[in-house]
Amino acid sequence: MKVDIKGRFSFPGGTHPPQEKNLTSESSIQPGPAVKQVTIMLSQHIGAICQPTVNKGDIVKAGQMVGNSDAFVSAPVHSPVNGKVKEISLQSHMVLGRSPAVVIEAESENNPPKEQCCDKFTSDVDEIKYSAEQICSAVREAGIVGMGGAGFPTRVKIEPNPRLPKETLIINGCECEPYITCDYRIMLEWTNQIIAGVKLTKKTSGCSRVFIGIEDNKPGAIEAITESLKNSGNDDIKVIAVKTKYPQGGERQLIKAILNKTVPTGGIPPMIGVVVLNVATAAAIAEAVVLGQPLTHRVVTVTGEAVANPGNYYTAIGTTVGELIEFCGGITQKAAKVVLGGPMMGIAVADLSTPITKSSGAITVLTKEQIGGAKFARRQTACIRCGRCIEVCPENLNPTKIAHAVKNNLLDVAESYYLNACIECGCCSYVCPANIEITGYIKTGKIALARQKKKIPS
Amino acid sequence: MLKDLRVSCAPHISEPFSTRSVMIDVVIGLVPAMIAAGYYFRIRAAVLIATCVISAVITEWLCNVIRKKPNSLDDFSAVVTGIILALSVPPGLPAWAAVIGSVFAIAVGKMVFGGLGANIFNPAMVGRAFLTASFGMLMTTWTVPATIDKTMPILGTKNDALLNEKLEVVARTQATPLAQSKEAIKNKTGAKRVNNHLPAAVIGEVGGCLGETSAIAILIGGFYLLIRKTINCHIPLAVFLSAYVFSGVTWLINPEAYISPAMHLASGGLLLCAFFIATDPVTAPLTKKGMWIFGIGVGTITMLIRIVGEYPEGVMFSVLLMNAVTPLIDRLCKFAPAGGKPNV
Repeated sequence: MKVDIKGRFSFPGGTHPPQEKNLTSESSIQPGPAVKQVTIMLSQHIGAICQPTVNKGDIVKAGQMVGNSDAFVSAPVHSPVNGKVKEISLQSHMVLGRSPAVVIEAESENNPPKEQCCDKFTSDVDEIKYSAEQICSAVREAGIVGMGGAGFPTRVKIEPNPRLPKETLIINGCECEPYITCDYRIMLEWTNQIIAGVKLTKKTSGCSRVFIGIEDNKPGAIEAITESLKNSGNDDIKVIAVKTKYPQGGERQLIKAILNKTVPTGGIPPMIGVVVLNVATAAAIAEAVVLGQPLTHRVVTVTGEAVANPGNYYTAIGTTVGELIEFCGGITQKAAKVVLGGPMMGIAVADLSTPITKSSGAITVLTKEQIGGAKFARRQTACIRCGRCIEVCPENLNPTKIAHAVKNNLLDVAESYYLNACIECGCCSYVCPANIEITGYIKTGKIALARQKKKIPS
Repeated sequence: MLKDLRVSCAPHISEPFSTRSVMIDVVIGLVPAMIAAGYYFRIRAAVLIATCVISAVITEWLCNVIRKKPNSLDDFSAVVTGIILALSVPPGLPAWAAVIGSVFAIAVGKMVFGGLGANIFNPAMVGRAFLTASFGMLMTTWTVPATIDKTMPILGTKNDALLNEKLEVVARTQATPLAQSKEAIKNKTGAKRVNNHLPAAVIGEVGGCLGETSAIAILIGGFYLLIRKTINCHIPLAVFLSAYVFSGVTWLINPEAYISPAMHLASGGLLLCAFFIATDPVTAPLTKKGMWIFGIGVGTITMLIRIVGEYPEGVMFSVLLMNAVTPLIDRLCKFAPAGGKPNV
C-alpha cells in the first residue's frame, strides 16, 4: 500500500500553532525515573471515583489493584511498584484540585520502571484465541482509559452495544498538540504492539473497517505502521495521512477528516457507528489482553525550552511532575509555567507534587517569552468582533458570543449558542487579538451551567 | 522556584496578534495612500493627516479621563480613525474643520458607545458625515492635485506637457470624475469623456478626497492587509462585485450617460471603503455569509446613490446604513454547530 504522505483529509476550521516537536521527536523512549513513592490518584478517568481496595499499611505487589468501583463508567487503578501503602489521603490532582489517592512507598530504594514490552509482540497476533468477552474484561481489569487526554474508560467504548452497533474503528495517531511526541515514538517503536491492540479491539467491538489516522508531519510513523501492516498482511487496516492542523486529533475532527461524517452535537461517536482510540490505548490493550498486565506505566514526553534534557520516558503512573522534571535535569531559570499536557489544552500546575495519571502524555515547561504571548501578559481589550475565533472554531460555534454571555452571567444565552458543544480545543483563545480568554470563559460557563442544573454541588 | 510558576487557563501560547498589531497593520496599509496624498496635495496632506490624528488621539484620551476608564490609546484605533477621516475629506478642508470632524468621530462615533468594540457606526464615517452636514460647501470643494495645478509647485515637466497637449484635462480636474459622471447622467451624454480619465484615476491625478484619488496606492495597501490576513477578502470582493455588476448593467444600457464600471471602481472612495472602511471589524458582521451581505449592501447602495441619487458619491452613506443593519445581519446568519441545528 502506498502512503500518501501529503495528507488530503481534514476538517473545517482549526489553527496552526508552532509544532516544536523536534525537541523530543528524535529521542527514543527511555526508562523514566526510579521512584521511592508513587501517588495513585483514585480518579484518573471520566466517571465514578474508585474506592480504595487496600488499607493503610497493606503490602502491595506491582500490578495489584489498589482502587476499584462498581460503576459501569469507571476503571480500576493499580500499583506500579512492590511496596507498602503509606497512606490514603487527599493529594493534589491536576483537574480536581485535591482528590483521594493511595500513596505507596516502594519496598526498595531503587525501583526502575518495568520493562517495555513491545519486543514481546510480532505484527501477527492470534486474536482468534481471545473471545470478545475475554478481551473486554481484560481491558476493564487492566484499568485502561483513553490515553490521549480525556481518560474515558476504554471498556465502555469498545464493548459491543446492540443499541449502538459499531462498524468503524479509528485509531488516533494525530498528536496534534505542539511539543508532545509520546504517541509518535510509540508508533515508531511499539508498532507491532499497537497493531496487535488494534486487531484485538477490532475483534471485540465488531468493527468491520479500521483506519489509522496520522498527521502528515509524522512521515516516519506513517511509514513504520504501513510497513508493519504490509509485512503481516493486514490489508484491512488502512493508514490515512491527515493534514497537520490543530485540533486534528480531536475525535470529532478526526472522524470528519477520515469518514467525512459529523458526530451530532452533544452526541458521541458510537451514534454514527464509530469508535476512536488513541494509539497508546491500543498498545495498552495489547499488553493487557496478551500479557495480562494492568496499565501502570505510560510514555510521558517531558519537553519545553526550559527543561535541561527533554525526552520521552516510560514512567510509572503516580510519579510526580517534580520527580520527572528533576530526572530530566531540572528546569532552568527561564521556566515560568509547568503544564501537564501540551500548551494548547494542558493544565498548568503550581504544585509539582501533582502525580501524572493514565492520561497525562506530556509535561511541557514553558518559558516566560513563550507564555509572554499568552493572554494574561498583555492587556485585554474589548472584543473587536474580528471573527477570527469563528473562523478557527472546529465545531463552527460562535465563541465570542458564548464567552460574553458567560461573562455577563447569561447562561441561557450561552446554552442556546451551544456552550456544551465546545470541545475546549483553545483555538479561539489562541487567535484572539483582543487577548480574551474565550476558552476559559467557556469552561467556567460549562461548570456554572452544570451547577445550575444541580449536577455538581457548588 | 514554586512561587514563580504561573497558573492560567489553557491555551498557554497564543498567536502573535493583538488589537494593537491589527491596528498598526491597518496604519501600514494606509501608508501608500498617505504617500500618494502627500505627492498630489503636498503640505495640505501632511497638515490634514497630522491634525486629524492628533485631535483624535487627544479626544480619546480626554474621553477616557472623563469616563475614569483606563487609557486605551495603546490599541492605536484612534490613530486609524484619524488617518481614515483625513484621507476621506477634501484636501482643501481647513484644519479647524478637520479638528471638529475628528473630535466628533471619536467622541460621538466611538466613545459614547463605550469605546472600541462597542461602537455601532464606523467612527471615521460618523465624523465625515458630521462634516458633510455642517460644512457642505467645504466638503464639496475640490482642490486639483499639485502635479497639474499651475499655481502649486510641480515636480517635473511631464505634467506641463500633459497640460499643454490636452487642455481639456485642466477643466476636468476641477471637478471630480464622479461629479462629471453626475453631469453626464443628467445630460445623457459625455460619459465616454469621463471614461478617458481612467488612467489618471488609477494613478491618482484627479480631483477628489485626500487619500481616495490614487487607486493604485490603495490597492497596494489593501493587498498588504489581505496578505497579512488583517482583513479577509469577503467584504472587498462583495463590494467590488456588486458595484461592478450594478454599474456594468447601467453602462451596458446607455454607455453615453453612464460611466464604465472600471471608472466607478477607480474613482471616489469605493476602493478606500472596500479595503479600509467597510472592513472595520467592529462595525461589520461576524460571519462569512454576513460579510457578503454587508459588502453587497455597501456596493449596491454606493452605486444607487452615485447613479440614481442626488449626491455624486455615496460611500459614506452606504457604509453608515449597512453599519446600522449589521446587528440584524448577525442575527440573520445563524450558527449551526457541526452536527447540530442552528440556534433560535
